[in-house]
Amino acid sequence: MNGRAVAAWSAACLLGVLLTTNPGYRALVLAAALGAVLAGAGWRRTRRLLIGVALAVLSAVVLNFAFSHLGADALFALPDGWVLIGGPWTLEALVFGLASGLAVAGAVLAVAPLSLLLEPHQVVDALPGPLARTGAAVAASLNLVPGLARSFTAISEAQRMRGWRPRGPASWAEVVVPAVLTAIEDSIQLAEAMEARGFGSGPRTRYSPPTLTQTDLLLLGAAGLSAVLLVLARVLGQAADWYPYPFLRPPALAPLGVAACLPLFLPAWLWRSPR
Amino acid sequence: MALASLERLSYWYPGAGAQARALDRVTLPIGPGLTLLAGPSGGGKSTLLRVLNGLVPHFHGGRIGGAATVSGLDVLRTPTRRLARHVGFVFQDPERQTVYATVEREVAFGLESTAVPAAAMPARVEAALIRAGAAHLLGRRMAALSGGERQRVAVAAALVLEPDILALDEPTSQLDPGGVELVLDACRALAAAGTAVVIAEHRLEGLLRVAGRTLAVAGGRVTAASARRVAVRPPAPRRPALEAWNLRGVTAGPGLEPVLAEVDASGGAGEVVALMGPNGGGKTTLLRCLAGLLPPRSGAVDRRPGRIAYLPQDPAALLHRPTVRDEVELTLRRAGEPPDARPILERLGLAAVAGRYPRDLSSGERQRAALAAVLAGRPAIALLDEPTRGMDEAARRSLAGLVADLRDQGTAVVLATHDAALVAAVADRVLRVEEGRVVEAGRPRGLAAVTLEAVPAELPA
Repeated sequence: MNGRAVAAWSAACLLGVLLTTNPGYRALVLAAALGAVLAGAGWRRTRRLLIGVALAVLSAVVLNFAFSHLGADALFALPDGWVLIGGPWTLEALVFGLASGLAVAGAVLAVAPLSLLLEPHQVVDALPGPLARTGAAVAASLNLVPGLARSFTAISEAQRMRGWRPRGPASWAEVVVPAVLTAIEDSIQLAEAMEARGFGSGPRTRYSPPTLTQTDLLLLGAAGLSAVLLVLARVLGQAADWYPYPFLRPPALAPLGVAACLPLFLPAWLWRSPR
Repeated sequence: MALASLERLSYWYPGAGAQARALDRVTLPIGPGLTLLAGPSGGGKSTLLRVLNGLVPHFHGGRIGGAATVSGLDVLRTPTRRLARHVGFVFQDPERQTVYATVEREVAFGLESTAVPAAAMPARVEAALIRAGAAHLLGRRMAALSGGERQRVAVAAALVLEPDILALDEPTSQLDPGGVELVLDACRALAAAGTAVVIAEHRLEGLLRVAGRTLAVAGGRVTAASARRVAVRPPAPRRPALEAWNLRGVTAGPGLEPVLAEVDASGGAGEVVALMGPNGGGKTTLLRCLAGLLPPRSGAVDRRPGRIAYLPQDPAALLHRPTVRDEVELTLRRAGEPPDARPILERLGLAAVAGRYPRDLSSGERQRAALAAVLAGRPAIALLDEPTRGMDEAARRSLAGLVADLRDQGTAVVLATHDAALVAAVADRVLRVEEGRVVEAGRPRGLAAVTLEAVPAELPA
């Protein structure tokens, strides 16, 4: 799998969810991204991510529903004196929150294959030459993440055995401070190790320069086609923004806009082999 | 022929006073073969190694005087990234030096950094893995390797640039006996092939057999040294009257597969039980079950009432209070015991640094500060997970004394360790934990702890 092809597909998906506020197109892109992620990584590996995405969508819905009191169709009302949440709670605010949540979910799932399906070195290899050094540093720092998680668990367990109990945010300093200090020390050690292996001595070469297979070319083509059609649909007014206030109305879907989203479903078919 | 040469080299870390030299007028030629650097933590071993590839002074800063030459290059004027082509470096913790997720990419990192053409890389990666005795690891993921295998990959990654000198900073301190042998075998072969291999290490037992010369580094000075073996006198085994902990039919593990399978074991008040066995065998899981940190899936864990002191594998990571004394007093206050830190600080030789920030101490002092912070007071049960990992000889002696004190005051001590000399010195009983099973084993016998004595002599290459 070529990092540049996957990145191009991710970019096209991001364009789809950010170019227009129309929840119809956002839902289509979200479906394409969800299908791709499930096809590529399977349910077991993506379960936690999907739960997190669902919680993010729920947060967007609840926050907009509670704090935005615009719209004509009030479902119920709280006393005006209640700070922030007082006033009418409207159907329009609820639906706009859902539309925002679709964008968040679509964006997260669009970039998920970069971490779920690619090794850090494949992402680094996909970067243009001038960014190779930065990329190697990022890949190295990603390697510290599992160690940081283990360190956090070990420190919290050991502090618990010393009588520490989590009581309010301030109490977490006893775990967070040593974990952060240890992470900083680990980072310095890693930087030292990289320096000792010649990092930064000049231009870098790559162990395996990225090659494009037929599948990668198909994916690049689909991403490019989708991006062009999306921009075209936007310019021609066929992927216009949608806004539910003050009166809720269904989003309009135009054939060109729908056609722009369809190529994004290609990975759901290409990546269906189990991993 | 000297591949590296230090001439009256002195070094001060940033902020150090004029008298606090990390290296003190060191004159040292280094030639092919295996050179062992021994001595206490904070004595200057790691600093000396870092001079060889210029990490000192280029990465760490500070002031330096004298001269250092490596492969004909002036270390003081050549940046580390250029010296990397001549000096390979392996650090203590294999996890904290890993850059990439797969073995071949990890080994190739140095080649990528020095712009070696891609076409030449696979052959050089394979050759380096063969020299490090790790050819069978090609294609594996780093996360799936044992500590010993990871350290071998680190050796290969250092060798891939075909350096004249290979420097290793406590490369075996994190490893079980199998892992230690893997790394030492690789070093032996390299030294025999003409590479200058310089190892700084506390665990001398295996290395003394193969070292071409042994040097003592203490107080920033380097002297020739000779090894002295001190017989370990085991304590008389005790028959405790009171049971302090008990595992009955315990099956447990943090993941999907259980690590312990129907384990029965017990220990008494005032008894020291040692858990031995290979990495991944279940020692830490057993300790965590006993501590109550990991509930068993089946079976029962009983403990006597009272405080449990738990020393994790990297206890120094815990330290966060402004002073060493504060760390100890925190534990005592929480345990409802008088907050008098003095006895344990004196027992561990930390009275002089009681008012200092723990993370500013040398690694050996820091390790002892963590011991004091966890084991202060009168715990009912003390659980120690690989307590001598990375410890110098003084810290190991302090620990052995502290364990004896705990036993004498009636604390039930359980320690998981690879350190046979410690077990011989303090354990009443040994349990072997392997593949999730626990069986009674005999105490190690006939062991001798190795100490070094400085010998006034010239330092030949």
